Amino acid sequence: MKRIHIGRRAALAGGVAAFASPAVLRAQSDPIKLATLTPLTGAGGSYGPTMAKVAASVVEEVNKAGGVLGRKVVLVSEDDQTSPEPAVRAARKLIDVDKVVAIMGTWASSVTTAVAPLCWESKTFLCTVSGADSITQLPHQGFLIRTQPNSTLQVSRVGEFILSLGAKKVFTMIPQTPFTQATFDILNAVLPKGGATHQSLIYDDKKTTYRTEVDQALRASPDVILANGYTPDSIVLLKDLYRAGFKGKILGFAYSINQKLIDQIGQPEVVEGVYTFAPSPAEGSAAYEKVKAAVGSANPDPYTCQVYDHTNMVLMSMAFAKDASGTAIKDNIRKVTQGGGKTVDNAVDGIKAIAAGEKIDYTGASGPCDFDDKGDILDCKFRYEQIKSGKFTVVKIA
Amino acid sequence: MLSYLLFIATVGGIYGLLALSLNLIWGGAGMVNLGLAGFFAVGAYASALLTTAGHAPIAVGWLAALVAGGVAGLVVTLSTTRLREDYLAIVTLGFAEVVRLLAANEIWLTRGSDGISGIPGPWKAALGPAFNAVYFLIVVAALAVVFFVVRRIDRSPYGRALRAIREDAQVAQVAGKPVLRFKTEAFALSAAIAGLAGALYGHFTSYIAPDLFLPLITVYIFLAVASGGTGRPAGALVGAYLVMTLLESSRFLVEWIPGVTAVQRAALKELLIAVALILVLRLKPSGVLPERIPPAPHQAR
Amino acid sequence: MRAWRPALRQGMILLQALVNGLVSGTLLAVPAIGFTAMFAVLRFPNFSVSGVATLGAFAGYLAYGAGLQMAGSLAVAFAVAGAAGLLFDKVAHLPLVKQGALPAAIASIATGLVLENVVRLGFGNEPRGYDRPIARDIYLGEIRVSPQQLETMALALALMLAVFAALAFTRIGKAMRASADNPELAALKGIRPERIAMMASFVGMGLVGVGGMLLGLDSSIDPLTGTRILLSIFAAAVLGGLGSAPGAVLGAFLIGVAEELSVLVVGSQYRAAVGFVAILIVLSLRPRGLLGERAF
Repeated sequence: MKRIHIGRRAALAGGVAAFASPAVLRAQSDPIKLATLTPLTGAGGSYGPTMAKVAASVVEEVNKAGGVLGRKVVLVSEDDQTSPEPAVRAARKLIDVDKVVAIMGTWASSVTTAVAPLCWESKTFLCTVSGADSITQLPHQGFLIRTQPNSTLQVSRVGEFILSLGAKKVFTMIPQTPFTQATFDILNAVLPKGGATHQSLIYDDKKTTYRTEVDQALRASPDVILANGYTPDSIVLLKDLYRAGFKGKILGFAYSINQKLIDQIGQPEVVEGVYTFAPSPAEGSAAYEKVKAAVGSANPDPYTCQVYDHTNMVLMSMAFAKDASGTAIKDNIRKVTQGGGKTVDNAVDGIKAIAAGEKIDYTGASGPCDFDDKGDILDCKFRYEQIKSGKFTVVKIA
Repeated sequence: MLSYLLFIATVGGIYGLLALSLNLIWGGAGMVNLGLAGFFAVGAYASALLTTAGHAPIAVGWLAALVAGGVAGLVVTLSTTRLREDYLAIVTLGFAEVVRLLAANEIWLTRGSDGISGIPGPWKAALGPAFNAVYFLIVVAALAVVFFVVRRIDRSPYGRALRAIREDAQVAQVAGKPVLRFKTEAFALSAAIAGLAGALYGHFTSYIAPDLFLPLITVYIFLAVASGGTGRPAGALVGAYLVMTLLESSRFLVEWIPGVTAVQRAALKELLIAVALILVLRLKPSGVLPERIPPAPHQAR
Repeated sequence: MRAWRPALRQGMILLQALVNGLVSGTLLAVPAIGFTAMFAVLRFPNFSVSGVATLGAFAGYLAYGAGLQMAGSLAVAFAVAGAAGLLFDKVAHLPLVKQGALPAAIASIATGLVLENVVRLGFGNEPRGYDRPIARDIYLGEIRVSPQQLETMALALALMLAVFAALAFTRIGKAMRASADNPELAALKGIRPERIAMMASFVGMGLVGVGGMLLGLDSSIDPLTGTRILLSIFAAAVLGGLGSAPGAVLGAFLIGVAEELSVLVVGSQYRAAVGFVAILIVLSLRPRGLLGERAF
């Protein structure tokens, strides 16, 4: 029996080897597919393109240095339109048709919440820049990490900053988002400790005017208003606050109160004195300099820095695991980001070190990139700015 | 490629269900339902909520979708069936809009514009990649059942009465047919079918959100029924697949046009559908399959 | 002692809602008159008013950006919208009215979509503003109103007065009223129905287009500008009595105030639902509307 088996096997091997070798070679040279799913249009449209661009530049560098596991890396970039429904369709296409092993860069919390189940069900690894707490609490079985500080961390720091401005009556105006309730809960806890009261309202982010909402807010006579929406509705809200003659301080998040907003509003008096707040990338680091060069900007936004880190970490995880799959990334990513070895800040160096058998510890453009077991980062810095005469000036980085 | 075609065929089947639903009342009783998207949404949310938050089995969810759709249909017709068709048009349009608003704003219930993700699919984990094929068969089965039911109605005295109401409600009333009751029943059944279609859609894509239930869907279905042949269930099915073909081929067509942005591509697709509907209404309002009015049965002498 | 304070506060809040409602009602009245007039003469509900309002808003935006002053831009909005109305009525809707009001109504939904997407093709989805100076509001006691709102209100009122005057005093206006009232009799008297229909299409849609622009002046415009107010326009017309222009004005004011008051009760997200609820109530209790279904 065995002999026949071996005989057959040999015959088969011989016959098949003739045209199997190209197949074997083909399998080895099958490219590894990664994807970015970022907002190229919609409320987050000012960030998506550079996020995709920096990922492409990392992939290009790694391919020039020989790829990963001897294979070329191919990047597919899709637009999620900053909306869950197109995002889900795009994710299905990436997972079912393109068969990517990792998706990187989902921005809006609602997009990430909708796309995450598709990823963990298909064992595709997801790297996100969304901040809502609920995201890492999903049952993602380890297939998700995020490089953005979660809402608890962010809103606590915001609350502390507001108190440092001397606020006594704070009013939050925010649309319905996955982090709305968390924002209320945390501010309700933090602000009274500093002697300030907190009220809030939820508005519809698709409206063209907010007179009534502004009326409601001003009735509480706040000295600080936290304007926590996205860019399009923040434009309308700031205009309506100005029209109503609000004389107090306004604070918002830098992802919505940005240069584009200032340009669209057009009148500097409307935004004069508005404070903004954002997690701060690791400015001054070599990784940060690389991102600057890759996207051609002196001030890359934090999300672009994070996607740079996503791409590097995913590639190095696959090299470390000697396997290019979502599961391999999930099981090995912390070994390359907090493995307690040589500090590296890019995949080319990291992959070389892995090939040489060294342990590595990735520190990136967005910060130290160390994750807990739920996928949250352990710490990062924040940047506080104020708009003066139509320009952003730094108040502090802490 | 196969999975893409399966996806198209399945969604086309779901649109077919909606087309059958519309055909029942428009082709049947001459009532217009501009709020199809609303009943679609009601069924989808009913099933999604029951099976995710309520942990109910999927079959229960689908049954609930049928019932929810039917009840919603009853609610809408309560104040409007005795009134004119153009008022019904406005009211059903408003209904769809209110459903969308409720879905987007009653966050505690519907998770708002984030939508409901992770809707379970029948035997999804066990089937793995075969899920899409099996689901397609489920949709075909649902289509067959509904098609059979609708055709029986079409050919029955009830169906003839509905058509009589379509042609001239006053005459039908004079002839002794309980116009109001028939119209209400037909509308409720039609809404129930639309609700079931919504549930099937939600469990197929595993994700629903208020923005999915735009009035645009209603336009697609009108195009399906108008182009396939009003008043004929087979026509509704033919029309649904015609619309799917138009939608998907326009996706590819538009990709060939150089220098268009993603937004412009989407706009061109919608434009194509809208123009197609106008053309069909103007040039071939009876559709591809003309109406077949079965003769009344012989009276026994 | 100070017990009347909270009551005064509530009173002020209500008064502000009333003022906001009057402003939005005045703006809503313009397209509502157009819609109801078209219904009276052409005999079908024209759902494409959503697309035409958007078209008018963008046409006015282009004119304003090109340097035309307010009056000129409004005229452009009127003309472009009116022309679009004329075109689509002639090509798509009126030929179908012979089959009934429904096929024409369904076709009008499609034409509304066509217009919305033509605008989207040209301008994308991003909202645009008219580049008007953002000024502080004027305070009359505790009630605030913006100078922009006052300006658009004045424009809307002027336009409405002009329309009513034309209907009452000009020959063509009287002919339109006669034709809407009793088409056969009017035809016997030599009033040509096609002429009247064209007039209704052009003027009716022109008003809708101007309405769209006036709405956008204070805030911003995007392809969905007209769709957002569709239900409110219907509600105003149905409430006042389909076919009655004074009814449309009355209905518009009532809907405007109702929407503002509803914000105080259910929050601003359900504003659009007010129109729907109003329609349901009217159709159940008094289908002919407040001023009855008489023409003009």
